[in-house]
Amino acid sequence: MEERKASKRCGGVLPFIIGFLATCVLGWAVLPGMFYEKVDQPIWFSHTVHVEGEGMDCESCHYFRDDGSYAGFPTNEVCAECHAVDPEEAMEAIAEEGIDSNDYDAIMKAEIGAIEDNLVSGEDDKKQAEREYVVKYLIQGKEVPWLNYQFQPDNVYFSHKAHAELSIADLAEMKKELSDVVDPSVFEGEAPEQNCNLCHVKDIAQNDVPPAFERNILSGYSKMTMKMWKCERCHALKGQPNACFTCHK
Amino acid sequence: MSVARRAFIQMSVGATVGILFTPTVWTALDDVSIWTQNWPWIPTLKYGEMKGVPTVSKMCESGCCVQVRTVAGEAYGVKGNPDNPLSGGACCPQCANGVQNMNNPNRIKSPMLNGEAISWEKANEVVAEKLEAAGSKVAVISGDQSGTVNEVFSALLTSKGSDAFYMMPCDMQIADKAWTGLMGGSGQIGYDFEGSDAILLAGADAMESWGSVVATRTAYAKNEVRKLIFAGPLQTKTAALASKWVPVPAEGMAAFTLGICYYVLQAGKSVGASDFDQFKSMVMSNFTPAKVEAATGVKADMMADVAKQLLAASNPVVVPGGSVAANAAAFALNLLLGTGAMKVLPEFAKGVEGAMSRSDMLKGDILQGVTADLLFVYEANPAYVLPEQLKAGFTVAFDCVNTETTAAADLVLPIPHSYERYEDTANPYGVGVATYSMGAPVSKPYLDVMPAGDFILGVADLGVETFAEVIEAKVEAVGGDMDELIEGAALVNEASASVSGVTLAATVLGKAAVPVKGTGAVSLAPYTQLVVGSANQATTPNAPAAISNNQVAIDYSLVVMMNSATAKKLGVADEAKVKLSGGNGECEAQVKIFEGVLTDTVAAPLGLGHTVGDEFSKGRGDNVYKILTVSSEAATSASTWAGSTVNVAKI
Repeated sequence: MEERKASKRCGGVLPFIIGFLATCVLGWAVLPGMFYEKVDQPIWFSHTVHVEGEGMDCESCHYFRDDGSYAGFPTNEVCAECHAVDPEEAMEAIAEEGIDSNDYDAIMKAEIGAIEDNLVSGEDDKKQAEREYVVKYLIQGKEVPWLNYQFQPDNVYFSHKAHAELSIADLAEMKKELSDVVDPSVFEGEAPEQNCNLCHVKDIAQNDVPPAFERNILSGYSKMTMKMWKCERCHALKGQPNACFTCHK
Repeated sequence: MSVARRAFIQMSVGATVGILFTPTVWTALDDVSIWTQNWPWIPTLKYGEMKGVPTVSKMCESGCCVQVRTVAGEAYGVKGNPDNPLSGGACCPQCANGVQNMNNPNRIKSPMLNGEAISWEKANEVVAEKLEAAGSKVAVISGDQSGTVNEVFSALLTSKGSDAFYMMPCDMQIADKAWTGLMGGSGQIGYDFEGSDAILLAGADAMESWGSVVATRTAYAKNEVRKLIFAGPLQTKTAALASKWVPVPAEGMAAFTLGICYYVLQAGKSVGASDFDQFKSMVMSNFTPAKVEAATGVKADMMADVAKQLLAASNPVVVPGGSVAANAAAFALNLLLGTGAMKVLPEFAKGVEGAMSRSDMLKGDILQGVTADLLFVYEANPAYVLPEQLKAGFTVAFDCVNTETTAAADLVLPIPHSYERYEDTANPYGVGVATYSMGAPVSKPYLDVMPAGDFILGVADLGVETFAEVIEAKVEAVGGDMDELIEGAALVNEASASVSGVTLAATVLGKAAVPVKGTGAVSLAPYTQLVVGSANQATTPNAPAAISNNQVAIDYSLVVMMNSATAKKLGVADEAKVKLSGGNGECEAQVKIFEGVLTDTVAAPLGLGHTVGDEFSKGRGDNVYKILTVSSEAATSASTWAGSTVNVAKI
């Protein structure tokens, strides 16, 4: 009887509220982060070194081809314009040293002249990153499997060219409506000439250590992969078509 | 306990309700639904720069100058090469499926000796031993009409003291036998399809399967007059483009052409050939319109009309197909017409010392049979086309896909696909100006393959070590620029070979032009459509969608066409199942009534009925080569399929 009374006193509300609040906190603050695993880029690439140090501009690597398609990540062919290691010569030198061409650590430790003499970085840590790129990818004839923060699945056709003329300054007028789609901080301060910040990691051109790629453990996509409703929202606000075939070719 | 339990339940309910007020569940559901886009069997796209890499494709008989479409360096499609005059931006349906064929599961994956995989070193040993033992009894059958690889093979034969080089039966060979063999000419005959103002296709299915189809179509597309007359036993797709179809049986084509010569001679045309008078006399007495009509069934007024149109044109040309006699008669008619639209192309310089000239390579008559102790077969399928003509002690087959010939060969050596190797084409048959094109590898081979040229140069000392060096030597010999050629341009040589000393082959033609037919109930008119397949290339993965039910029925049986008069005579109706017997074989087929077939003639598509191949070609239709009859052309000493007849029985 005493127990029953006690129970009635609680009225069942407190445990309910505790449970409710606990999962609310978990659901808003803790669980969303657990859906993502952090993955580092295959090698360290510093935009700062290339942009500020070498004076390169965005178009040096990220440019529109003659046919209007967009060269997102630079290929070895582009990188080799500066990182001028001759793959054939390097491989011959590796073979002469008796090192397995797939034993990257051994090649890097061997400090082979055909590679070392053509490295352009100054500081040790940056030189090691460049060496790693050259040994693991350039001389092997393999493209770097960069992790694309803005990865879009194959069933979406996205044309950079079609979005190239979007102006951050113009879009700032509808930043309230776009607040769910675009990070509001993009509209702060003076609008940059190019609109990359609308979708890409903000101010990536000034980045020294690339942020980790956050992969959704369920879908496999990037945390920054834009969901369809975001595309539709912006299209609607800009008066653009939202028919299926606009993006699903 | 009771309180704790109740509180727990209440807290759980609260937690459940609470979680629904967070994005977690809804986001997770969304993510799970997206995850279903990533089933492991769904192929993923490759992203990167899209290019059109020029090269030469050798899937069709003449070879196509194409651009292989790549993305991030990986080939995914093919289009014509607009920078090359042989293509003009177009390519044939066989080469258009080049990438699909390159990735075909039917590719040969490694060297095979009597059905067992072996190493290239072992293959080298075996061939070296057989070469040593065979002495001069070595032969080569090539399915490539215009590539420098033939120079490597023929130089090998020369080094062994053999001249047994055979091309698979082709229009180029028949034309050469007529021009250099009967008429004493030199060089290679070509035609100005762009500049001629009256073209008589005397048996040449020029827009579908004869000569260099793409180059012909590209040139004809630029023709401002477009007066085209098609003569043949069947209304082909070429006939569909013509302003007039003249029904002429294949065996009567030479007589028909001489019948037109009659009118041309009557109009006072002449030519400075040494046997002109003899030719004129022969035509005016033996090939009068009445006699030709009696022999071929072609009405005299129809021949008169064709002759009139040719005589009225300023630059007419007659383009032959079929027998050696038909070719010689057409060349004689062109000479009489004094046309500039029949060209005589000089041969390009050789890149391999000791190699045979093209004309010498075309001399061997494969229809008469090939006997050798050691036989090399290069990208050809003689076991499918001519199974009874091959008698070899040991056969080495070079190919990139499994065929009837590789299945029957003792040693099978896989070669790279056209897009994985150096390839070239010099003067594909039919082009009006001497043209050389070449291409470098577009894709890296993904199988254990070796270019045939490299293999041969590895077993025989021919003065060069690799086929890439041979191509370099060829380019240098012809005066080309390697970089420009690799970028897709063609080397064009406007020069003409001399026609002095050419005769009209009056003596031979007088006998050879008389129509000779087999003893079967009806004539057989075999025809080729590139989508269906050719002698060396079975239909390709995407092509079956373009094959009509006039060639293959819905149940995959062969379809033969005949007109209603023939069907009535044979007692068969539309869609009737019949058995055709001819040569030494039989074919089963379904009848299709089509009034565009000459009476007493059955038209049947070549290229079907493969017993080895992929899912698109194997077991589709029946092999019409089985029912062709090889006969010897009177006086020309050449073998021909023209005049083949069949008996037709209802099943």
